[in-house]
Amino acid sequence: MAVIPGTKPTRAVLIELKKRIRVAQTGHELLKMKRDGLMIEFFEVLGRARTIRQELVKEFIKSQQRLNMAKATEGTLTIKSVAFALQKEPTVELESRNIMGVVVPKITAESVQKLMFERGYGIIGTSAAIDEAAEAYESLVDKIITAAEVETALIRLVEDIESTKRRVNALEFKVIPDINDTVRYIGFALEEMERDNIVKLKMLKAKAQRAAAAKAAARAAAA
Amino acid sequence: MPVLRLPKFGNPVKYAYITGRVRAKKTKLIPNDMYQRMLSMDISEITRYLEETQYKDEIDEMAKDFSGVDLVEYATFANLAKTYRNLLEVSIDEPKFLILEYLRRWDVWNIKTILRGKFHGSSDEEIMKYLVPAGELDLEFLDGLAKKDTVEEVIQAFDGTDYYVALTQYDGHMLSSVENALDKLYYFRMERAVGGTLSVGGGLLLKYIRKEIDIKNVITLFRMNKAGIDASIIQENLIEGGKLGGDLSRMAGQSYDEFVRGLEGYPFWSAISDVATEGDGISRIEARLKAYLVRYAWAISNYHPLSILPVLGYIVSKDTEVSNIRKIVRGKEADLPAELIEEQVVVA
Repeated sequence: MAVIPGTKPTRAVLIELKKRIRVAQTGHELLKMKRDGLMIEFFEVLGRARTIRQELVKEFIKSQQRLNMAKATEGTLTIKSVAFALQKEPTVELESRNIMGVVVPKITAESVQKLMFERGYGIIGTSAAIDEAAEAYESLVDKIITAAEVETALIRLVEDIESTKRRVNALEFKVIPDINDTVRYIGFALEEMERDNIVKLKMLKAKAQRAAAAKAAARAAAA
Repeated sequence: MPVLRLPKFGNPVKYAYITGRVRAKKTKLIPNDMYQRMLSMDISEITRYLEETQYKDEIDEMAKDFSGVDLVEYATFANLAKTYRNLLEVSIDEPKFLILEYLRRWDVWNIKTILRGKFHGSSDEEIMKYLVPAGELDLEFLDGLAKKDTVEEVIQAFDGTDYYVALTQYDGHMLSSVENALDKLYYFRMERAVGGTLSVGGGLLLKYIRKEIDIKNVITLFRMNKAGIDASIIQENLIEGGKLGGDLSRMAGQSYDEFVRGLEGYPFWSAISDVATEGDGISRIEARLKAYLVRYAWAISNYHPLSILPVLGYIVSKDTEVSNIRKIVRGKEADLPAELIEEQVVVA
């Protein structure tokens, strides 16, 4: 039996603890529902994350191949020279959304996918290999941003599931049993005190009866 | 466009000496069968082999700064620049004028790289690494340009030259219009320069330049039509001149299939017929078209032994050699399949 240390076995505390039990049980139910809800959400996001990760790997391999091809046909000097002409670097905007109380990021990217003539380099002096490499990398950056959003959501969900699970377990295996034990302890203590009082009362009553009997005997003797 | 003033050269036009030098230089080029052997070598073996050829000096000199594939690439580019500058040094009169006009493509390349570097905010040391001083603008001048602080200052340094008109198209936000203007200026000058020569072989060289313009335009059409870009924007990106200027301009904005069907019957069609209809990557079609152009230059280079044509043949051969070496070493570095590398290598 694990009694909450420092608990005074009084009726007021007992009433207070009974209230806490009700709150803890309601909280436990709610947290269990939240945990289950988060788990369902987690598996959905996990599925998406897995698909996106696979696509990301594919995009990465494709981009590397395209870049290697561009390096082979045009040379590193050309690729680096053309890379200098990049007009605008992509920007990302970070917002947040709420999944069952878990704040996850929502990432919006700008200027990632560009039209050929918007990339900043001249068309005449460059080649299709460069277009193909640039296009593949733009698509890869887009995928990375989506993957970052989904995987961060996944990490946040896992963290929240963990903490919710810890709370549920703490309520289920520690807080509620401890309160129950304490309630039982206070109950026993109060019953004990009651029994004690009854004995005391009985003793007092016997004493009073003995005193009354003695008084009556003395009065009879005097008469 | 600026008006190119053609210099007047006396008769007879002195081609005997330069063609003799070019014949001697041609013997130093890597033989065709060597590329096949290079495909089975590793990078260090290729570097060692190159050290036994004309690239020795550049490899030795650059070995302290670069290694592996980078060493091969930078050394071959440096050798290309040295070879072309040497051609300019040993030629006089009309051959010198025509070679210089042809090699201005490297000046355009260097100007574009410096502009891009300044636009990006790169340091002058970084920019200098990517320059190939194979044209008229020497390393000292390019170094001075690279040290300028802004794009506008670089543009100002060309005040009074033909390049200035093209460079003033810079709007402060994007370099693409300036780059296109520089490329168009190059081809305009080249067509005018070659068109003004009355020497033997001048006609064929002009035909080659026009073919190059057409091929460049066809590649642009492939790239932009496939991307579904508006006809007006595509037309802005086409080089004026060439033999098929009007026909190709009309093809701008067509659907890809319609455009490919429209190309049937042109002389270069046989080089791309199998890949163009399959809708393969445009880079593959581009590689075929470039190889077609190289082979055309080689074919005409033997028509008139004492003309500019053997010189053109050599310049193209040297460029192709550097390009082939780079394709092999970069391809090997990236573990590309041997068949894919072999397909990219252009041999006679």
